[in-house]
Amino acid sequence: MPETAVQDKTEVSLGLPWSVVVHNDPVNLMSYVTMVFQKVFGYSRSRAERHMLEVHHHGRSVLWTGSREKAELFVQQLQGYLLLATLEKARE
Amino acid sequence: MTIREGPHHELEFARIEPIEAELLQQISPAAEPGGDERAESRLHPKPAASEETKLLEDWEELVRPELRQLFLSSRETVETDLKALKLDRHGLGFFSIPRTHGDAWLNALNQARLVLAAKFAFTEEELSRYEPPLAFSRRDLVLLQMNFYAMVQERLIEALNRGV
Repeated sequence: MPETAVQDKTEVSLGLPWSVVVHNDPVNLMSYVTMVFQKVFGYSRSRAERHMLEVHHHGRSVLWTGSREKAELFVQQLQGYLLLATLEKARE
Repeated sequence: MTIREGPHHELEFARIEPIEAELLQQISPAAEPGGDERAESRLHPKPAASEETKLLEDWEELVRPELRQLFLSSRETVETDLKALKLDRHGLGFFSIPRTHGDAWLNALNQARLVLAAKFAFTEEELSRYEPPLAFSRRDLVLLQMNFYAMVQERLIEALNRGV
């Protein structure tokens, strides 16, 4: 019984949408962060800049929300570019 | 030092002063955390909140080694490219890199800046300071080194964007 309960919880958790969040970092250059958002998410320059400025002014920006598997992949790519990126369960 | 796109779309570094050449040679050594925990945790931040234990364990086992390899590979690319650095008749350095190495250079430069910033615990105010100090401490010189790397990154991004 406990095993089933854990499994159910995990399945529910995996099924939730997850968000990819990038946090502010005073070292990374604005131009570099913008370039990385364009490369990783395929965003236009203006959309990438909007997210970059949100990170800069508000400390974080949600870049993408969707399946956990894909969110993990995006976070791996962003950390590969040395950005401070995390994934978290999407807020209701 | 100038960085521009060459006739075959390669990236040309030219008019490199000796001090700039030395700083370029120091990219890879500067990017080495050398056991510094702050630098290590900045290069490899946790990807999720601490209650996501399974995710964090999987990340540690599967993803972190891949990221380590990526960072090492970028530094090795820079080291290899720098072996082609030669002097012109004015004693200034020059070399070129394939355009495909641009990402590795940006990555290695970023590693160096992040590691130096973490090791020396620079504040945001210090990092955005433009005025030179009245007297140079080791800390000020490291800040100059970081600013030089930032300048190289900016020029590289400009050159790469021009070729899109």
